[in-house]
Amino acid sequence: MSGPRFAMVIDVRRCVGCHACAVACKSENAVPLSVWRGWLKIVEKGRFPNVSRPIIPLVCNNCANPICVRNCPTQATYQRQDGIVMVDPHRCIGCKYCIASCPYDVRHLNPMKKIVQKCQWCHHRVDAGLQPACVNTCPTGAMVFGDLSDPEAEVSRTLATHSVQVLKPEKDTGPQVYYIGADQTAMRTMGPVGGGE
Amino acid sequence: MEGEATVVYNVFHEPPLGLPIAIYFYMTGLSAGSFIMSTLAYGFGIKRYKPLGKVGVVLATLLLVMAPLNLIIDLGQPLRFWHLFPYLQATSPITYGSFLLTLYPLNCLVYGAFMFAGNMRLTTMFGRIGIPLAISVHGYTGFILALAKARALWNTALMPMYFLISAMVSGIALMMLVVVIKSRFFTPERKVNRELAFDLGRMLAWTIVLDLFLVLSDVLVLLTADSEAREAAMLILTGKFSPYFLGVELLAGSLIPVLLLLLPFTARRLPAMLVSSVLAMIGVFAMRYVMVIGGQSVPLS
Repeated sequence: MSGPRFAMVIDVRRCVGCHACAVACKSENAVPLSVWRGWLKIVEKGRFPNVSRPIIPLVCNNCANPICVRNCPTQATYQRQDGIVMVDPHRCIGCKYCIASCPYDVRHLNPMKKIVQKCQWCHHRVDAGLQPACVNTCPTGAMVFGDLSDPEAEVSRTLATHSVQVLKPEKDTGPQVYYIGADQTAMRTMGPVGGGE
Repeated sequence: MEGEATVVYNVFHEPPLGLPIAIYFYMTGLSAGSFIMSTLAYGFGIKRYKPLGKVGVVLATLLLVMAPLNLIIDLGQPLRFWHLFPYLQATSPITYGSFLLTLYPLNCLVYGAFMFAGNMRLTTMFGRIGIPLAISVHGYTGFILALAKARALWNTALMPMYFLISAMVSGIALMMLVVVIKSRFFTPERKVNRELAFDLGRMLAWTIVLDLFLVLSDVLVLLTADSEAREAAMLILTGKFSPYFLGVELLAGSLIPVLLLLLPFTARRLPAMLVSSVLAMIGVFAMRYVMVIGGQSVPLS
């Protein structure tokens, strides 16, 4: 592989559920009210006294095999060489087919601009040599972002030395957000607040 | 399952595709069905369907001129719809649609023009060219849903066929209704063409039976595939969409028309014909609604 290939590892064992990542994202990317590019899903499981409250931080998986890119009819959604899946704001016609196709519900229609937007791993920061806003903000260092093509990068070393999971591997999208210690109930329980089994 | 679990915080984005998309699917289905009925006489020379020819092509063209308007209204940026052509993405089913939705109505116009001009040789030719176009213009809508792989209710190879067969159901039902109204009010004899109506009635009944077989196959496989598929099946069988699926699509839109059309004491009665054609058309609309809106209501995060 030539050039960088970005990926993210989220060590869920370190996550304290403070939502700082979601707030930093909103602020950095001017994400409007009612939509989110990154957020926490929090689930409660078990029966008293044997209970826990697993958390899954969610951002775009910037998949290796993105269905949104394949289905976008105007090539407004495209994948950069380094793997980041982008939306061209001038090309997008707002047909929302990519939102319907994404298995992770991480895309949204900007209610003011009426185009589709998504987490782009803060490509503008990454291009300037900075970390994405969520990674930069996380107070416990639970999120690691970097270049997989560099074997000495922290993201590569973390991936190589830990057992990791991805969301919905059966969808054959090749998600590039890897989780350490993610709870399978939290990964599998879907729905709005109060939902689930 | 893994025991009790409750979501205490999550973000839920609005379902992207709404009612205009369901209406669009319904209109293209009606159009393709009407077109195919129209070509029975003018493309394949089956004489008894001749009264369907002209009215079929007029409806097919009108519906297919209106249908894409729903899509353009639904766009976030309607004025950018032209991006679909110069910037096309060959792997996207919407791209197939951009071209089919341009070519098919043009072919309808040419076919209709030659029909009204009385040029039978060219009418037959354009009628036959139109058959694959009509099948594609509606079949591709099935691919739109099937290839959006996130949604368990959509992601099945049956989807294009299911859409085509239900398009034929709605098209035949529309033709029945039109034939009765046309022959009763707009012919010199002012007499209902009963034989043609009953003929279409039998055709409608057996097409609905085929449609029911596809529904059964779909639901049985959904129930056994995986957890998301089972959840989608339960949504239409016992959940929020079951009144539309079981009540409107299956009971009112399929079973009652089939019984009315095939049972000996109603099979040759005009009111039964009219009721079943209206019910079948409503049933197909319910199918579009359940598929488009229901398919997106299984949460993905």
